[in-house]
Amino acid sequence: MGDFSLIGKSMKRIDTPLKATGQAQFSSDLMLPRMLIGKVLRSPYAHAKILEIDISKAEKLPGVKAVITAKDTCADKWGVFRYTQDQQFLPTDKVRYVGEEVAAVAAVDEDTAIQALKLIKVEYEELPAVFDMKSALESGAPLIHQDHPGNINIHVNIDVGDVAKGFGESYYVREDTFTAPEDSYFQGEPYAVVAQYDHTGSLEIWMPNAGPHLKAKPLSNVLKIPLNKVRVRKIAIGGAFGGRSEISPADVICAFLARKSQRPVKLVYTREENSIATRQAHSMIATIKTGVNKEGRVISRDITCHMDGGAYSSTGPIAVSVPFLCMEQAYQMDNIRYNGYRVFTNKPIRGMFRTHGRAFACGVDLQLDMIGQELGINPLEMRLRNARKVGEFTPTKSYVASCGMTETILKAGEKASWNEKWGKLPPYHGIGIGCNSVQTGFPMGIRGGSQAFIKFNEEGGITVITGIVDNGQGNDNMIVQIAAEELGLGVCDVQLVNADTEVTPSDPGSYSMCETFIGGNAVRLAAQDAKNKLLKIASEALKASPDELTVKDRKIYIEKSPDKSISLSKVIRIALSRSESISGEGSYWPKVDSKREWVENPSGQLSETFSFGTVITEVKVDPETGKVDVLEVTAAQDVGYALNPKVIEGQFEGGIAMGGQGGMLSEYILWYNGRVLNPDQLDYMVPLAIDMPRINNIIVETIDPNGPYGAKEAGMSIAMSAAQAYCGAICNAIGVDIKEFPLTPDKILNAIEKKQKVKGDEGSE
Amino acid sequence: MKKITLTLKINDEKYEIITYPNRTLLEILRDDLLLTGTKESCGEGACGACTVLLDGLPVRSCLLLVTEAKDCEITTIEGLAKGEKLDPVQESFIEHHAIQCGFCSPGMILTARSLLNHNPAPTEEEIRFAISGNVCRCTGYAKIVEAIQALSNRGRE
Ligand code: FES
Ligand code: FES
Repeated sequence: MGDFSLIGKSMKRIDTPLKATGQAQFSSDLMLPRMLIGKVLRSPYAHAKILEIDISKAEKLPGVKAVITAKDTCADKWGVFRYTQDQQFLPTDKVRYVGEEVAAVAAVDEDTAIQALKLIKVEYEELPAVFDMKSALESGAPLIHQDHPGNINIHVNIDVGDVAKGFGESYYVREDTFTAPEDSYFQGEPYAVVAQYDHTGSLEIWMPNAGPHLKAKPLSNVLKIPLNKVRVRKIAIGGAFGGRSEISPADVICAFLARKSQRPVKLVYTREENSIATRQAHSMIATIKTGVNKEGRVISRDITCHMDGGAYSSTGPIAVSVPFLCMEQAYQMDNIRYNGYRVFTNKPIRGMFRTHGRAFACGVDLQLDMIGQELGINPLEMRLRNARKVGEFTPTKSYVASCGMTETILKAGEKASWNEKWGKLPPYHGIGIGCNSVQTGFPMGIRGGSQAFIKFNEEGGITVITGIVDNGQGNDNMIVQIAAEELGLGVCDVQLVNADTEVTPSDPGSYSMCETFIGGNAVRLAAQDAKNKLLKIASEALKASPDELTVKDRKIYIEKSPDKSISLSKVIRIALSRSESISGEGSYWPKVDSKREWVENPSGQLSETFSFGTVITEVKVDPETGKVDVLEVTAAQDVGYALNPKVIEGQFEGGIAMGGQGGMLSEYILWYNGRVLNPDQLDYMVPLAIDMPRINNIIVETIDPNGPYGAKEAGMSIAMSAAQAYCGAICNAIGVDIKEFPLTPDKILNAIEKKQKVKGDEGSE
Repeated sequence: MKKITLTLKINDEKYEIITYPNRTLLEILRDDLLLTGTKESCGEGACGACTVLLDGLPVRSCLLLVTEAKDCEITTIEGLAKGEKLDPVQESFIEHHAIQCGFCSPGMILTARSLLNHNPAPTEEEIRFAISGNVCRCTGYAKIVEAIQALSNRGRE
């Protein structure tokens, strides 16, 4: 790639000094004058009619400034899609899961607010509830939403080629069912919202978000105020992982409390509330039937997947589709049928997750291993034979413009010494591989594109204005890095105004892995727009044509005679003196098929480009305890072009911790009648430093034709592939295929025991 | 409940506090003194986000009643840098990309500071063990371990 000053370098992130010194402010750190504390009353029942809510006693408690119920809201139903509008932020008719919001209070302090909650009397009539997909689907099961017979929320059907014929032509066919329960995001930062109204009736609001514009629009709808009166402000955000993607009842409730009390209100969720009343990842049952030819190439595949959606639709259509789409992007499949069902149950709501679909993706990969075993082909070779190639179309008709799938498999295999290790490891040692592909920006409707502005000050410094949000992954730095590079400036010359809906233009949000590609492109175009104007003025001063000029080190040079230069600040001052404004404007809309729709029309260009990743994991299993020791993990991803390699490595490592180590070994939600039994951090096991293995990172660059400098999604492919590699390695170590995830010690021990019993029985025959 | 008066010594400054004795040090730091660099994540002693140093040792301020911190030297993340000059641990975390969302960072950095004060040459294993009371959901710990290792005398050998 070209000669860059900042791009492609592991520069220090601009946001981290404030975070290292404790000065970065997160939502719950905010303190506003006269601020009240909000608390939410939640349903104790999984399914019940609300007969009456009496708030009179709570309202009379000294120190209570507002109590709200559905009566204070417009009670509209909200949903991400027009056809999924099924959730009232405070319900009027009935509650549908334990922990659903019923009422809320704002009081002068937390103790008073908690006391007030106890004074609210809600009369319920309990209804029969369903806590798992099987009973939800039974005929005569209680209906969670009257307009959804059979409790089916979403059905996505994809049918390409001729699946039956494909199976007929296959040399070997097998079918397996894989399952996994829900898992949790456990972001470092618990959910917190601060809201206030100003004298003009505008709402000012801070919350963790994956896209300020994604939050502003529903708030404007629900509060019935114009969009320009909703100001979602920039704030530090303590992690998202898919879980901050849509409006949360907390946002709406806090805004209503502020409106009713006419004072600023802060609402901070407890860790328990974070586990039940923000989103979770879907549990899943995936039945996968695959037919291959003698060489192990997949001829036909038929997948039926049921996902427990909990009580409301949330991002259901996307969540049902994405696990399938990731796999059809990663592997060639000509004849493919997919039936994905999202089922309503009386449990908390499930949404998007960085590593969701573990039963699905692990199923596809583990089954490839099983088929390979049957045919005498090793798992790495199975991947190579089925890997997606550049220039192909996916079954649902997305063109693949850049693809390093094969390269990631080969490079990871080499680094992990696959050939030396496969089949040659000592007993109870195993090695496994997983591959995945992730979209870089899928259709987001009117908010699909991003715009950016750049303005100059007289000294030549700039302010970049964009809607891009930073959840911790380093987007703030990415913006500054691109703008500074294009305009030949230093990082300290760039002021950043972002993620604030009052001033920043529309942006899809840090959702669908698109910020570098879409937002980054917009920033780059804005900088180039400004640069062209600067060069025009400089060309007059330097008596050279604009295309002979270049910018670097705050100066504009004639490229061939670098001693002839003019400083940027001088060019700006010339512009000012002539009353010619210099500013930059850029906008990028990804080239996707706008007619593609998740349920009605799952066909056409899904995302302009895709990332591809491979993870290889080596493990040792203790046959006495079932404990897994992960020895080494190797991650390779095609990221297009690495704008800041260290940031990308950090994404890989975090993805391995979440998708592999946590997702495959220890993380899952335990239930009792719709109640989460492990909502806290003592009982929900996220990985610690001592659990984590050595990690090798391999960045593969394919220079995407349309990404900024060739860049595309970085990190999510690794998070997902890690789960598959872990599961393959463990099954390889014990010589049994376990199809229920995560692979906790009890399941591993059971599998070993069963295998020994079978062996024993065979031996005694 | 009756309010009590006590003096806390935080980051070399003395604070006179009048409060209920059932409040935690974390609440006093964040809500009363606006030292919001100390974070609350789990509120039950499992994550280390609320770590502060008490006489140089890492403690979980969400589990500590404020009365227990009386007569101790308390260091919060705000007290680690000397004016503009960051502590080497802070520098190293920035340098090695050991910070992503940054929510765990104050607690993690203080734990690392205390480790290095008491063991200037920790091995990788000792580092991992020492920070295993601090949960980081973003980084997978690799860069955090590297950042601390870079300051270990052993690391420089
Ligand atoms: S908040 Fe204190 S240990 Fe988690
Ligand atoms: S950097 Fe986000 S929790 Fe550690």
